[in-house]
Amino acid sequence: MASLFKDLAKLSAYRDRRFHGNQEEYERALQASTTVYVGNMSFYSTEEQVYELFSRAGEIKKIIMGLDKNTKTPCGFSFVLYYSREDAEDAVKYISGTMLDDRLIRVDFDWGFEEGRQWGRGRSGGQVRDEYRTDYDPGRGGYGKMVQRELEAQRELVDYGTDALGAFQPAGPYGRHGGEHGHGGSYRHGRDHRKRYRDDDRSTSERVSSYESRKTTDQEQRPEKNPRFRESGDSDEEDDDRRRRR
Amino acid sequence: MSSWRALLLRVGDKCPEYGGSVDYKDHIVGISERWYSGSALLRLDTVLGQILCRVFHLVAINSSFPVIAATHYLCYKNFVCDRWPIPLESCYSVLSEEMKHVTVRSQNLITLKMKYRVLLTWISWILLQLLLQCAEQLPHKIPFYSVLVGLINLENEDFGKDVVDAIHSKLQDALLSENCDKIRISLRFLTALDLPGSISSVIEVFETLLSSALLTIDEEAGNLSWQPCADFYVTCILSSLPWGGTELIEQVPEEFDRVIVQIQSYLLVRKRSYDNSFTAFETDGDKSVTEKDFLEDLWDRIQALSSNGWKVDSVPRPHLSFEEQLVTGKSYSLPHISCPKQSATSQSTISREKDNYEVKLKYPQRLRRLHIFPSSKTELKDSQNQNDVSVKATNIDSRKECASYMASLPVSFRYEYLMAETIFSQLMFLPQPPFRPIYYTLVIIDLCKALPGAFPAVVAGAVRALFDRIADLDMECRTRLILWFSHHLGNRLTEEWWHEDFWREGGGAKLLVKERMVKGLTIWEMEDQQPVEFRKVMDVMDVGSNFQYFWPWEEWAHVKDLPRWAPQRVFVQEVLEREVRLSYWDKIKQSIENAPALEELLPPKSGPNFKYNSEDDQGYALSRELRIMIRGRKTAREISPWVEENIIKVHGPKFALEVVIQTLLDIGSKSFTHLITVLERYGQVITKLCAAQDMQVLLIDEVSSYWKNSTQMTAIAIDRMMGYRLICNLAIISWVFSLPNIEQFHVSDRPWEVLRNTINKTYNRIADLRKEIQTLEKGVSIAEETASKALKEFEAADARLEVVDGQPVQAEKPGRLKRLKGYAEKAKEEEVSVRESLEAKEALFARALEENKILFVSLYKSFTNVLMERLPPVSDNGDLPKLRPEKIDAMSVDLEEPPSMEVDHDNGQKDESENNGERVTHSYDIKEQDQWCLCTLGYLKAISRQYATEIWPHIETLEAEIFSEDTHPLIKKAVLSGLCRKMVEL
Repeated sequence: MASLFKDLAKLSAYRDRRFHGNQEEYERALQASTTVYVGNMSFYSTEEQVYELFSRAGEIKKIIMGLDKNTKTPCGFSFVLYYSREDAEDAVKYISGTMLDDRLIRVDFDWGFEEGRQWGRGRSGGQVRDEYRTDYDPGRGGYGKMVQRELEAQRELVDYGTDALGAFQPAGPYGRHGGEHGHGGSYRHGRDHRKRYRDDDRSTSERVSSYESRKTTDQEQRPEKNPRFRESGDSDEEDDDRRRRR
Repeated sequence: MSSWRALLLRVGDKCPEYGGSVDYKDHIVGISERWYSGSALLRLDTVLGQILCRVFHLVAINSSFPVIAATHYLCYKNFVCDRWPIPLESCYSVLSEEMKHVTVRSQNLITLKMKYRVLLTWISWILLQLLLQCAEQLPHKIPFYSVLVGLINLENEDFGKDVVDAIHSKLQDALLSENCDKIRISLRFLTALDLPGSISSVIEVFETLLSSALLTIDEEAGNLSWQPCADFYVTCILSSLPWGGTELIEQVPEEFDRVIVQIQSYLLVRKRSYDNSFTAFETDGDKSVTEKDFLEDLWDRIQALSSNGWKVDSVPRPHLSFEEQLVTGKSYSLPHISCPKQSATSQSTISREKDNYEVKLKYPQRLRRLHIFPSSKTELKDSQNQNDVSVKATNIDSRKECASYMASLPVSFRYEYLMAETIFSQLMFLPQPPFRPIYYTLVIIDLCKALPGAFPAVVAGAVRALFDRIADLDMECRTRLILWFSHHLGNRLTEEWWHEDFWREGGGAKLLVKERMVKGLTIWEMEDQQPVEFRKVMDVMDVGSNFQYFWPWEEWAHVKDLPRWAPQRVFVQEVLEREVRLSYWDKIKQSIENAPALEELLPPKSGPNFKYNSEDDQGYALSRELRIMIRGRKTAREISPWVEENIIKVHGPKFALEVVIQTLLDIGSKSFTHLITVLERYGQVITKLCAAQDMQVLLIDEVSSYWKNSTQMTAIAIDRMMGYRLICNLAIISWVFSLPNIEQFHVSDRPWEVLRNTINKTYNRIADLRKEIQTLEKGVSIAEETASKALKEFEAADARLEVVDGQPVQAEKPGRLKRLKGYAEKAKEEEVSVRESLEAKEALFARALEENKILFVSLYKSFTNVLMERLPPVSDNGDLPKLRPEKIDAMSVDLEEPPSMEVDHDNGQKDESENNGERVTHSYDIKEQDQWCLCTLGYLKAISRQYATEIWPHIETLEAEIFSEDTHPLIKKAVLSGLCRKMVEL
């Protein structure tokens, strides 16, 4: 019904490049899939919250949280598997664009979960979008990874008091630094970086730049440490292994 | 300049009837004039416009065949996919035929005109489709569309005929497929049509419907179970009268009178229908005897309307300006309409009632409004607009459009109230809302964004009104309200709201709103008391587009002082519970900081409750050992014997169950995924331990104790265990109806959530099987066809003889025969195997149905048992006990202190002599046991209603096994009204 007003382009323009097959096969997979992709989530949102919200569209079979491939902590996306296609359709129609943890989440059809898709595809372990972001997003680990790296570098060079933040420009030059930080142990400290930055933000909060004022409000409204966030240390080898086996 | 499409959609907007100043005449004349001008064609639709442009262009310069072909292809691509039945081929051939004769330079008016003609037919078809769509989806504009039809008909004589034919086929289809909305709207369009002579067709259709209705309620020839359908037909006729009543009286007074007389006689014969099972608010009393039902109510309104000269504000009458032109058009009459034949009356009472139930579902009564606002805000001269709004919300399932569309609805009055009421009426619609309840969260949020000035306040008003009457609200509706409200609150933008700048910018007015909302003054109270300030506030709030409202919890802080079972208190507590689930505990605690009293109602800060925390606990060592084994990748097959050897033999099976479940749950406690991984891996260990149902009940007890701080995890864990078939639904029911849970029935949703999940899961299994069987049945018929075809082919070949040497010999080559035989055999095999799998599924289905029957028997037995123990007895003279107090003047009542809940476990009787000595400030004076009964009866009714279609097939068993003469009449009443049966029949 309601064809007068309806936008017939139901599928989103996003194309997963890891999908093996042509566009037609991709669309067919989306049209038959009972899996939805949930994006723009807070890193702090838990499976139970997702369950509570998405079970209102139908019986849930499984939830797969997207994890940072280095820290093994949630990195802001997930897959929800339903038993029936209608339920998945309702989730896309009715949940996309509503708030979860004060964020507008995006819900789209997904071509189906496969082992390996739970990991972030960004260079630093999280989602690609979190690499290049230049805004400050407290629900997703503060600044984008590149900005963070640059901040860190600057901090080493310059005294804390200088106007370091104003100098930032998006993208471009940051790409070069990727390799040095890439994998392995160094990013297990990701959270510590974030935390330190927050403290720093507070000390410079009198500054009038737009970045600063945004952050200040965020800082005041957010609890210092989200009680729900599972530290990477929480997940022992057993868990990691289990996630992989799933 | 806008496209045709936009013009059609916007026709009549802002015209004086809707409180605007635009003359609709301009709209209509504009559209019909454009119709004749070439430019209109081009603007009909962007794509089409481009194509036509090119066609014209190509005709003008020397065109060539391939280009035409390309155009054709384009049209095809764009329209065929969109169901394009126009004879494109003929259109194309005419065009190309002409091409041959047109010389480059001799292009002139004549050839252009010819092409123009062809295209005109084509376009009128598009226009027709668009018009019909518009009429269906924007039914309040039907008068405009019908004038348009009349005007176009003047020029293009076939157009009127096409429209009449199209409406006829739509109406006929809708009647046969029993699509209520379509029947209603087609009938309205037909009545409003401004074609000369269409009136007599309208009368004919009315009479057809009426005679079908009269036949239905005829004692002898009819089928009384189908009265809802007959009622519906009459409702349709009545409600289409405001759209064409004047014309009917003017042009065919006698026939019209005949219709009215028939309606009157129908109303005399029919029985009143009262639909208690589908009303959201319950009352003890049976007021229905004296009240008029929905059809009589409508009839009264229509009569008032006819004495008023059929003038309705909400129905614009654009045709008056064009009357003189319109009468000159060509007339068309409608072919005969036929109503679907109804089945004959069933023999047994039960199947008659079952029929009646099904018909009621198909033809729901209209006018099922909640009446949650003061009537001055929503009262309408007639019921049409309410219907329209609801149609809108029903039709438009794309939410954004629904919201923006509803926000721009052209009506002359403040309609936010009506809109909110319609949305809430739909959300509370029983047995099922038209859409999944979660849809309404979105519609309401979107409307709050679209009308930031007024809508949030109206929604808040609706919530307050529902909250005030929550004690009378149906249990199912309460659950929906809790789920919606908790989700709605999660969608506010509190940070923006509290942001200092926001308040500074808005100045005084915003602060005022904030203050008002904090004080809990409803917006309409403000509107009445301080109209000037109100306007100011509205204007300012429109500016702050991020405006969402937060909930002034302090206005509900008083519920803390109500007894634990007071419905308002339970409501607040459950909303908080759901909010915590969607968010997290600390945050929700923060959100109620203005009402610290409510902290008491927050759920416990969730976290598992593991039994073995110190080495002194019995089981600590065993649990640790088990945990180490699981860490060490021991399989279920290895663990089971260990449990047998080390726990069961030493401590007994119950203790083994405790250790195993506590340990497994603790390992799986981190998240939903951890839980299902543990259950997948070690489910076998559990199965070994709890084969028997009573062990399964213990298992659920253990789950409930481990997750006592988290209702959500309890529910999820039980649900998953049922999913892996570690526990059966009967065990869950038996657990739900165990004493500790029974005591929770009226103070918490916890047991009910588990119960709902269980029934729902069982239902889903059956629904899945039904679907699979349907698919397989199709497969069988395909396989049958293939097999019989293959066989025929073989037989035909086999039978073909030829005469050689005077002897009949096989004509086919033996090789081919063999091959054909092979095919036939293979097809047959295929058929057999599909049939076998169908049979297997059917056997499964039969078993599932049987299990379902057992489930409902057990459920009703449990309900009956607990209720029989607690319901107050029927008095000697047969009066039913009154659970709800009579409405007493609140001022003069000295409230009776609520008794505390003390259950004497030995005889199941509650001790009501103790008072807890606390005074309540808000009037709530239902005793605990009465509230318990109301609540449990409410759920019994709600469950019966929700699964009525599954329960009806087993109704005889249920009656025989559960309901005896001793069964308390209130129990019977709850079940029967849930199933939509009449109390009298018992």
